[in-house]
Amino acid sequence: MEETTAKVHHRHVELAQKILDFAIERGLPRGGRLTEQALASHCNVSRTPIRKALQLLAEKNIVSPEPEGGYQLAIEPASFPGLEDEALPAEETELYNAILRDISAGRIGDSQTVAGLQRRYGFPRSAVQNALIKLSEENLAERAPGQQWMIKQFAISGDAVAKSYEFRLACEPLALTMPGFRRDGAALTSLRQSMEILRGMGEGAFDQKLFERTDHDFHMLIARSCGNPFMSETLQTHHRRRKTSQPPMHVNAFRLIQSNMEHLQILEQIERGQFDLAADLLRVHIQLSHVERPRLAGRGVPIAFRIAG
Amino acid sequence: MSKQKTVALFPEASFGAALNCVGIAQELRRLGARPVFICQENFRGVFAEYGFAEYSLVPGTNDGEANWTDFINRHKDAFRQSPLEQISSYVVPTWDAIVDTAIKAEEPLRRLIAQIKPDAIVLDNVVMFPAIFNSGVPWVRVVSCAETEIADPDVPPYLSGCGAQADRDWLAFSARLGREIQPVHKRMNAFLIECGLKPYPSGEFLETSPHLNLLLSPEIVRFERKYRLDPAKFVYLDGCVRQEAPYMLPTFAAHNDKPLVLTSFGSLGAMDVAMIQRMISIFAALPYRFVVNAGPWRDDYGNVPDNVVIESWFPQPSLVEKSSVFIHHGGNNSFCEALYYGVPSLVMPYCWDGHDNATRAAETGVGIKLSRYDWRDEELATAIESLVADASMREKLARNATSMQKAAGVTLAARSILDLVEE
Repeated sequence: MEETTAKVHHRHVELAQKILDFAIERGLPRGGRLTEQALASHCNVSRTPIRKALQLLAEKNIVSPEPEGGYQLAIEPASFPGLEDEALPAEETELYNAILRDISAGRIGDSQTVAGLQRRYGFPRSAVQNALIKLSEENLAERAPGQQWMIKQFAISGDAVAKSYEFRLACEPLALTMPGFRRDGAALTSLRQSMEILRGMGEGAFDQKLFERTDHDFHMLIARSCGNPFMSETLQTHHRRRKTSQPPMHVNAFRLIQSNMEHLQILEQIERGQFDLAADLLRVHIQLSHVERPRLAGRGVPIAFRIAG
Repeated sequence: MSKQKTVALFPEASFGAALNCVGIAQELRRLGARPVFICQENFRGVFAEYGFAEYSLVPGTNDGEANWTDFINRHKDAFRQSPLEQISSYVVPTWDAIVDTAIKAEEPLRRLIAQIKPDAIVLDNVVMFPAIFNSGVPWVRVVSCAETEIADPDVPPYLSGCGAQADRDWLAFSARLGREIQPVHKRMNAFLIECGLKPYPSGEFLETSPHLNLLLSPEIVRFERKYRLDPAKFVYLDGCVRQEAPYMLPTFAAHNDKPLVLTSFGSLGAMDVAMIQRMISIFAALPYRFVVNAGPWRDDYGNVPDNVVIESWFPQPSLVEKSSVFIHHGGNNSFCEALYYGVPSLVMPYCWDGHDNATRAAETGVGIKLSRYDWRDEELATAIESLVADASMREKLARNATSMQKAAGVTLAARSILDLVEE
């Protein structure tokens, strides 16, 4: 019973985050109205779960009820870093993380069956299946012949980050110069607001979570706006996968501040319709973000030993 | 309004010196100066990541096809030897390579100093670069190795791993090193003379600065010296820990709520994968969480135990702060970070001043020294367990950490450098 409650709660948290994403994308200000009907059709669910998600946001003082019914935003969405899920993670999320962690550590092989995972983790069959579906939705796993599932080890291996940068360098600037690229004015304005808030912060007080949210939203927006559904799908899947499965980069605040400034410059060129220039800036941004460190260093070590890491 | 001061920091091409200088540069920037880095080609990007301008010594060149496998195998064997044996196999060849570095750097360094026109140069290295001396710019020597780097009759010989009590080992080490280092030292002196400098006395490769010398050595591990260092020119920093990105601990598959033990032997020390795998097999049976730095060899580790996470890079100070025990090689930055955060050290040295710090950690009761290779399974396990359980050591380290944090080594370093240029 407790498990079911936690699971339902988790779904409401996910939906509440979608509501906030909607508010951010549309550039809604503090006090902006949130109507159940509009949210239900945007999230493609009925009004009942939307009402629950809004109640959850009200409990956290993120929205407040209006006297005549409905809710309004009680925070400035542009400065909001994202919702914390304080409930226990749903079984499939816990399993999802455990499978990736154990594959990465070589504790389990990349070819798995539902029964095998059930035995290792002691979760019910349905939870294992859901975790595998979640992995396949993010292109981290795929069905193999028979009962097998193949987990894509390359996506979490030691050089996954370097390969990801290589891929992004090839594709993201291209997305900006696709003939069908269309600017989403409201989303750009909203992102600019968040980036300006970050620009006002010093090294000591830099809000890393807000940066991470803005960074993800910015690169997703480019992917979504490119006008080519194949490119859009590929890039969005890659960004989602980066967010959930790549090891943390441990980047210091100074570089994040620089990165935010680079985002702003690219965004300005997109707003001006200078897509070639925006693509050039994006190319530079991706290269600057790819931290390179010497592979091995010390007294007497030849200087030639260097790889991107 | 006075002109913004430009300080050129020139650390040797090792992570310890480089990141130590990053800490000083962060503070110089905060105090309004303009710190820039002069770096070897392989360290390009390391300083830019922290927002500092970089001037590479030999831009756009690569010194060729160094044989990676040979290098590793040669050093792996040397790292199994005692400090005395390493004189032939590691110390002298390394000094030889260091002298080469100084000779190769001379011309480009002279050009860079002329271009940058710094108000001060901060040298974190163990060898003299005549271009610095001849530039006429006030220069600062950073002693980021163990305090033994600055010789004194009452301080054990540098790199010997000897204890504080003078004995026959001191003499044996000094005599052998003095003998074997002669050809390299002769080459160094010939280079100094060629550049118009006076030759150095036997065994010396870098003099103390007539302007300012900064020593990392924390008070708790400091030696009593026969000849007191002049406080006007020698400033003890009590550690020099940089600001780093936060480290979010990953979820461990087992023992997720248990004490954290960090293992990191630096990038050189990570190359002996088999030795670290042996350690991990012991970790598997202990009721703790372990983060292990595998450097670039992360993918060589398979079937990692549930209570172990393998990393290839992390902001070390942020992780040391969260640890209950730090297993390291005695690199002076690692040792100082452990002391700065009050974390007991299990030192397993394999070269250079790691030997000195390992002995000193045990002598001063801030950790345990264990041979890197010569240990039984239960010895390693017991060493870790005893450090986790040692409440009195923890209390002593906590008191020391408070005093080191209060001393604010990076600020003291930056202020001392700025005082020098504003004189």
